[in-house]
Amino acid sequence: MMAHASVFQTLGDPTRLRILDALREGEHAVGDLVTRMKAEQSGISRHLRILHGAGFVRVRSDGPRRLYALRREPFQELDGWLKAYRSLWEKRLDRFETALAKKTQARRGKAKTDSAE
Amino acid sequence: MDTRNRIVIQRSYAAALEDVWDLWTTKEGIESWWGPEGFRVEVRKLDLRPAGELHYAMIAEAPEMVAFMEQAKMPVVQDCRLRFSEVIPQRRLSYLHQADFIPGVAPYDVTHVVELEPLADRVLLTLTFDRMHDDIWTQRATQGWEQELGKLAKVLAK
Repeated sequence: MMAHASVFQTLGDPTRLRILDALREGEHAVGDLVTRMKAEQSGISRHLRILHGAGFVRVRSDGPRRLYALRREPFQELDGWLKAYRSLWEKRLDRFETALAKKTQARRGKAKTDSAE
Repeated sequence: MDTRNRIVIQRSYAAALEDVWDLWTTKEGIESWWGPEGFRVEVRKLDLRPAGELHYAMIAEAPEMVAFMEQAKMPVVQDCRLRFSEVIPQRRLSYLHQADFIPGVAPYDVTHVVELEPLADRVLLTLTFDRMHDDIWTQRATQGWEQELGKLAKVLAK
């Protein structure tokens, strides 16, 4: 399993996010991405290497062209993280609620005793 | 609705604002509910101010958790720390904490924000989790991640 920290670092760059966005429509050659994004080829290639290294894109050769496409896995993993963290906290808040109810009851009990005095 | 790369959980309680705040910010309060299922916590140090730390021990208590930790060759008592970044009494608390609960995944920091809002006879609690450091987060603050992921999943499912 890939480390999440690197997933987030990979996504923490505006150019890489734009590349992923462009790839959403389907496979693209490096040259297409360079034209679309009006960026330097070397920059785009570097970002594609990082995205490839982190498992976000796959690449295949078509003659002289290198075609990039999105991979599903890292997105599913991020989605899984969201669900797991949410569920962990939902459970924790259930315990919070129990503790708070006890505290509230103690406060009401005390208020009663105070007013009876 | 905020659709950025974050989780938002909201609940409301028929309770005193002071009690809700105390459960998040006092030794007794924290020890009464904090920690994952099957664990209890002991607060070792609590320095409630920006840049101050909460230091606690997380102790496996349920027999199955003790067995799990031993099998995973992890200590039954874990040392945990979180750092406060904002403390506005009875309104807002934020802290940075390592999320390390997913086996096989490297731990990383998550910003937790607790907001309290007094309503007529209830207290509204809003919890927000951001999965990245603020500085990294700011770079892509305009991106809607949860939404983006949904779109991508659709595209990829084709």
